[in-house]
Amino acid sequence: MIEVSRLSKNYGSVKAVRDISFTVESGTVVGFLGPNGAGKSTTLRILAGFLGATAGNVRIGGHDIVTERARALEQLGYMPETSPLYPEMRVAEYLRFRSELKGVPRADRKREVDRVLERARVVDRANVLIGHLSKGYRQRVGLADALLGSPPLLILDEPTAGLDPNQIREVRALIRELGESHTVLLSTHILSEVEVTCERVLVIHKGNLVAEGPLRELGRKLERSTVEVLVSGKEARDVLEAVEGVATTRVLEEGTLERIEVELESADEEGRTCEALVFALAKAGIGLRELRPKSASLEEIFSQLTSEEK
Amino acid sequence: MRGFVAIYKRELRSFFVTPLAWVVMTAFLLVQGLHFYLVLSHFAAQTEAGGDAGPVQAFFGQTVILYLPLILLCPVLTMRLFAEERRSGTIEALLTTPVTTAAVVLGKYAAVLTTYAAMWAPTLVYMWLTSGIGYVDWNVVGTGYLAVWAVGAGYLAIGTMTSAFTKSQLSAAIMSAMTLIALFILGIGEFIFPEGAARELCGYVSVWGQMNDFSRGIVDSRRLVLDFTAILLPLFVTVRAVDAWRLE
Repeated sequence: MIEVSRLSKNYGSVKAVRDISFTVESGTVVGFLGPNGAGKSTTLRILAGFLGATAGNVRIGGHDIVTERARALEQLGYMPETSPLYPEMRVAEYLRFRSELKGVPRADRKREVDRVLERARVVDRANVLIGHLSKGYRQRVGLADALLGSPPLLILDEPTAGLDPNQIREVRALIRELGESHTVLLSTHILSEVEVTCERVLVIHKGNLVAEGPLRELGRKLERSTVEVLVSGKEARDVLEAVEGVATTRVLEEGTLERIEVELESADEEGRTCEALVFALAKAGIGLRELRPKSASLEEIFSQLTSEEK
Repeated sequence: MRGFVAIYKRELRSFFVTPLAWVVMTAFLLVQGLHFYLVLSHFAAQTEAGGDAGPVQAFFGQTVILYLPLILLCPVLTMRLFAEERRSGTIEALLTTPVTTAAVVLGKYAAVLTTYAAMWAPTLVYMWLTSGIGYVDWNVVGTGYLAVWAVGAGYLAIGTMTSAFTKSQLSAAIMSAMTLIALFILGIGEFIFPEGAARELCGYVSVWGQMNDFSRGIVDSRRLVLDFTAILLPLFVTVRAVDAWRLE
């Protein structure tokens, strides 16, 4: 669906994207992961035909984004970061305008607008001025816009940025749903987002593509998760190590209250293992003051990935 | 040209749902109303009818009040077109649809041109009023409106161009106003330079000269060629400018 070969982009002397190549197969949901400023948005803007590349080329559904621009753009629905919209337009009116730009035939426009309003769950705000919408609704209007004309490919730049936790959950569920009928490429700087929504991951760091592949392979290192507990009482360590699913433990602080880092065998089983930890501690009469998951920071993961490559 | 009509309609609507178009039109009509009142008063005060110029000719061709407001108001009408879309980021959504840059530029330009025409439309009442109290040469009215339309179309094209140069509406307005003032001052050269090429050139670009000709019913094709150059050249540069900052 997307073929990128040897793509580079310089802003003056700044190299935002350095010679990256990748492909995205039809029917997959791919996460484009990287810290802020890694070159995610620049790459997506080039894929969506907004920016020109310094070198390399991009094909969308077999059409070159530069020489067959209109053909290529008809294949994709793009949602820019922060989804910029015209504040003085009403939601349905804006979507009608966009459907016209995207070449939806006149006779189908109303039906198409109704369909995406429904799909992106903005029906209840169809006649509200965009300027009066909350951030979450604006994001959904951006998503509705990307869905107009049912393009086979969706490119979403940070679809959950700036949303509250409820909205994030909704948008993620929606993306998973869309993944059943579309090829989706979405960018994010949040690792857990990729875990929840994507099948494959592209990791970009300082303009370089540092890792690529199915999440499972890529995340083998990350599969082990750690939790930190604060307990009162002796021999807590032995109790913890006896729990099924616990790999190793390490005492961080000693004293009347002990802070212990517990490494779990599998991230998938994190919830269940934590429950088991609580029960085991209670049974042994050890007080539990605090239990919180510790996730490796994205920067740590990136440094791991980059050092591994070299 | 896909997208042209959609962009034209959206842009036109956006002019009239925001206060800008109404503010510009109100200011314009107040000034032109006063202008016409002064012209009429002047003619009414003359004891004997004489000369070959009536109030309509005077309105279109003999005072600067007709186009001085245009030098200020045209940049205000056009400053938003691209600068605002670039500032707010909506240009990204616009240019990632399968429409051509030319369709975007022409759609926006056509919308501002329509707004400009709407701004002039109420002044037709002046002609109708004058025809009730005296003789009006409708040919002169026709050529007069042709001239203000052609001159304004060039001003708006220049404004569209400067709007594509910057993210700031204010900078866009200042750049186009300065360009229009420079053109106006160049026209004054006709009265300053001695006989020769410089004077010819200044006479050729003089908006004053053009309005004078057209208000007497003289349609000089050289003037229209100039006007169309002032429309097409800036629009061509606009398309190139939009592509340049997007693709470079």
